[in-house]
Amino acid sequence: MATEHQGLEIDRVTGWRMAPRYALLVVVSVIVLFPVYTTVIAALKPGDKVLDNPLVPDAFTLDVLRNAWERGNLDRYLLNSAVVALVVTFMQVVTAVLSAYAFSFLHFPGRNLLFFAFLATLLIPIEATLVVNLQTIDSLGWKNSYQGLAVPFFATAFGTFLMRQVFLQLPRDMRDAATIDGVGHLGFLRHVAIPLVRPTIGAMALFAFLSTWNMYLWPVLVADEEEWRTVQSGLKQLAAAGIDEPNLIQAGTVIAAIPVAAVLLLFQRQLVRGLTAGAVKG
Amino acid sequence: MSAFVARRRRLAMVVAFAAVVAAACSSGDPILDAGIDPTAPPPPPQTAAPGETLPPTIPATTTTTPFADLPECPVDALGDGDNPVEVTYWHGLGGESEEALKDLVAGYHDSQDRVRVRLQNQGGYNETIDKYLGSGADGRPELVLMPEYMLAQMVDSESVVPADVCVNESDFDMSAFLPRVRSAYVTGGVLWGMPFNVSGPVLYFNKKMFREAGLDPNKPPETLEEIRRYSQRLVDSGASGTGIALDSGQDNGGGWFLEQWFAKGKKLYADNANGRSAPATQVLYDDQFGVDLLSDVRKLVDDGLAAHVGANPSGYDSFLKLADPKRPAAMTIGTSAALGTLITTLDGGLVPGITSEQFGVGPMPGPATQPGVLLGGASLYVVADKDDEQTAAAWDFVEYAVSAEVQSTWASRTGYVPVRSDAIDIEPLRTTYDDDPRFKVAYDQLNAATEDPSAFGPVIGPLREIRATNSNAVGAILNGADPAAELEKAASQANRLIRNYNTLNS
Amino acid sequence: MRDVGWQWRDLPTGLVMIAPSALVLGAFLVYPLVKTVSLGRQRCNESGTRCVTTGWDQYSDVWRSDEFQQALWVTGKFTLLVVPIGLALGIGLAMLADRYLRGIGIFRAIFSSTVATSVAVASLMWFFLLQPDVGVIPNIGWVEDLFGVVKEPGLLRDPGTALTSVAMSSVWAGLGFTFILVTAGLQGIPADLHEAAAIDGAGGFRRFWSVTLPMLGPTLLFVVVVLTSRAFQAYGEIDLLTDGGPDPQQSTTTVTYLVYGDSSVVRSDAGLQATTAVWLFVILLVLAALQLRGFGRRVHYGD
Repeated sequence: MATEHQGLEIDRVTGWRMAPRYALLVVVSVIVLFPVYTTVIAALKPGDKVLDNPLVPDAFTLDVLRNAWERGNLDRYLLNSAVVALVVTFMQVVTAVLSAYAFSFLHFPGRNLLFFAFLATLLIPIEATLVVNLQTIDSLGWKNSYQGLAVPFFATAFGTFLMRQVFLQLPRDMRDAATIDGVGHLGFLRHVAIPLVRPTIGAMALFAFLSTWNMYLWPVLVADEEEWRTVQSGLKQLAAAGIDEPNLIQAGTVIAAIPVAAVLLLFQRQLVRGLTAGAVKG
Repeated sequence: MSAFVARRRRLAMVVAFAAVVAAACSSGDPILDAGIDPTAPPPPPQTAAPGETLPPTIPATTTTTPFADLPECPVDALGDGDNPVEVTYWHGLGGESEEALKDLVAGYHDSQDRVRVRLQNQGGYNETIDKYLGSGADGRPELVLMPEYMLAQMVDSESVVPADVCVNESDFDMSAFLPRVRSAYVTGGVLWGMPFNVSGPVLYFNKKMFREAGLDPNKPPETLEEIRRYSQRLVDSGASGTGIALDSGQDNGGGWFLEQWFAKGKKLYADNANGRSAPATQVLYDDQFGVDLLSDVRKLVDDGLAAHVGANPSGYDSFLKLADPKRPAAMTIGTSAALGTLITTLDGGLVPGITSEQFGVGPMPGPATQPGVLLGGASLYVVADKDDEQTAAAWDFVEYAVSAEVQSTWASRTGYVPVRSDAIDIEPLRTTYDDDPRFKVAYDQLNAATEDPSAFGPVIGPLREIRATNSNAVGAILNGADPAAELEKAASQANRLIRNYNTLNS
Repeated sequence: MRDVGWQWRDLPTGLVMIAPSALVLGAFLVYPLVKTVSLGRQRCNESGTRCVTTGWDQYSDVWRSDEFQQALWVTGKFTLLVVPIGLALGIGLAMLADRYLRGIGIFRAIFSSTVATSVAVASLMWFFLLQPDVGVIPNIGWVEDLFGVVKEPGLLRDPGTALTSVAMSSVWAGLGFTFILVTAGLQGIPADLHEAAAIDGAGGFRRFWSVTLPMLGPTLLFVVVVLTSRAFQAYGEIDLLTDGGPDPQQSTTTVTYLVYGDSSVVRSDAGLQATTAVWLFVILLVLAALQLRGFGRRVHYGD
């Protein structure tokens, strides 16, 4: 994931110093990539060769991947994960932008208290809510459905916090000028505010997508029917699937990781922005 | 604010927090006692309000509950309508067993067109149980496959139609059923679940390694002393790295095997005739027999004759130990239901140098006092509170699934034991047993007759949780903890679970 | 932000715009928390169909119980492993890759790559590295000679090493995240600070301690808070790698696993689950407060 930062001029490494530096980088890279490497190798070997030489790619086949795809129902799982992640991302952006606008551009009494209440919800761990949420979803008949998987995550206080941060940085005069021009709240939002904060929205969307895609515990509880599992809970299924093809699960893991890797590759910059928005600015 | 004051404040907060934690430190009480006063007497039994009737309870005797008190089974409600009735069937089978089940259902669909069965794999027995128990009446399927240890809970859930009621209504002939298989699911005189996939524990052993060690591959060890002797020969001769692979998993060495060994030793596992004549109130396995048994097993591990492969959550770890390229084990105890998968795996070349013919199957080793084993596996339950048509459809499928022909195919393919003796005279099972007697070992074990109450497994409400507790205890023992102390801890935990269960489900 | 005072006419618009978020947060975060607190005063049967109220004592009983204290201890150990090591490695990697070098972008991509793994994916990758019978590492010849426990009984099955192994898998999974954050933080340090220090004669190491680390303050604080929170809520790793851990002492049963884990004794009782979950919430709350106030004071927010 390339960032523009190239390090300090005064720390520039030149001449003979480059070699040990490269060597260190390579060694560390090997260590970091080792689990991925072994998994990918195992996924591409035929089942009976898996145990022979775990470090060496001495055989190649795509059959196991195909098998994992079919037997493991991975196409359906990927679809479910994708639909849920996309819907949640969209809704999180919408609810965050709306509420952040209210918290930054509007000045109604009780606003700060309400915002504080929003922030307080950040401290509630998902584990404290699972049992009851499960009951709620069940009573709505939403178990094993997209609604059940997605609706509880349609809003997050973190999204509101992030968007508010960035709205607050817009010049006040812009809003005043727009008011004088007779532009209403929604108009301002649509035509001025959102276009200006597009990068942050992008980052937030990416973050929401990834977190939803990677969720483990909730989908496991809510979607226990075959057709409704997501990729993460489906992997656990594959793990129990069979001893006759032991690398089935490595293959499944590879398939599960590809979409995320692709998304990340495409949207690196937004990811970094999203992750650092909460950090550097404090 | 000066840094000094800030630091003081922070320190004070940390200290305060630590003090709170320390002050409220461990009471040494088990979490299962939280909120409950363990010495309080159980709540009085429910009495009916005037004009009301209480739901029926199974009386604590061995007389049969009158069918009038049990849910109905309208077996004739299946009309010849145009649209087939769809019933949902929840199960937790995987691997080859799941494939066989899918084929079984396909065969059912080919044989008639009034009923369609929708299979839903929940991912495992645990998932099926959790989901079933957590669902209200609307969420339940028409059929569910529940493992044998769930018998008490299924009865207490008051959510199923006892199989006996349907058997009675439809005059279903169960005379060919194996007696042990049928009795396993009888409590209070009533058959509740229809046994479907029956398994038993068997010894898997590597015949090639036996031969290399100078042991007779046709005489596998049958007692723990023989296991010790055989393992010693195997290890000393270098034929294998260790003798036997043992796990402490809930469904194997830590839970199920304990019950098996008690039955083989003709010892009761729980009071009230293992919970079959009246609900059990306490477990009995922390006695000297249990301590000696587990001490002996632990000694095998200590002496390098057995390998402890952990809690084995996947169920495959003990088998994987046989395939270990460095220090393989020559034997392991596992469910007979794994035989089909094992053969397919080995024939697929998974483990270099071993083919499936090199594996033998023998009876489960253990105390020799009472031959035979307790059954494992699961049974089909017809769920109550459904439309008459659906109940009838569900029962129609049940009759199909336990018919002789279907059981013959099923057992032949999966390695499960057929629930009825006439299945072994029909193809393909007849040929299977003739060609590969390994498949018959589990069947023979379950055919051993006896009337002693200790020969029928325990029926306890929280049996699943008790097995999990035992699994932890056995795991601890095999890792070096003191057997007597661990068993006592496990037993008191189990008794707590029983007491809580009885209190909350009375 | 200029102080404009309250404007009542903004109230209806404000409420309408906040409503969607508030509804979802209220229904799926606040309401469950409240209900869980009351559920925590009850004991329920396995199917959750019958619950008996026992009172607030249940909270103190659960806190003081053996299993909970044990889980607290395990969680504490786990956190103390994951957070410092993860932080140190993240900083180390970021510093390593923070140089003008041809192709440094590739290395940066590699170091960030673990952010693409989910808990499930990362844990399963590690599972097949460590599985003692057919896993990768135990079957490498010299590894077994040096460290017997890797093969017999296996890092994940030995009570002494299981927790550390799970922690390492968790550290690995979090490396990308930490790396990206620290790298971005390094980006935010003005070059002239470094140059000034260099002119004053400070070498690379000295500069790291007196310029880089302090300026990374807010970033590091954020990382620590997130890593700690994640460590305390660790579930997937344990579910997939050890199922609560080799016994005795349930070596990898953290508080979260105690609530939801397959092999946890609490699992059969929704009431006990709720009590334990509420305690987890309280702990996280206190931790966050402590961290923000305790370390926040030390953090330097720049010019």
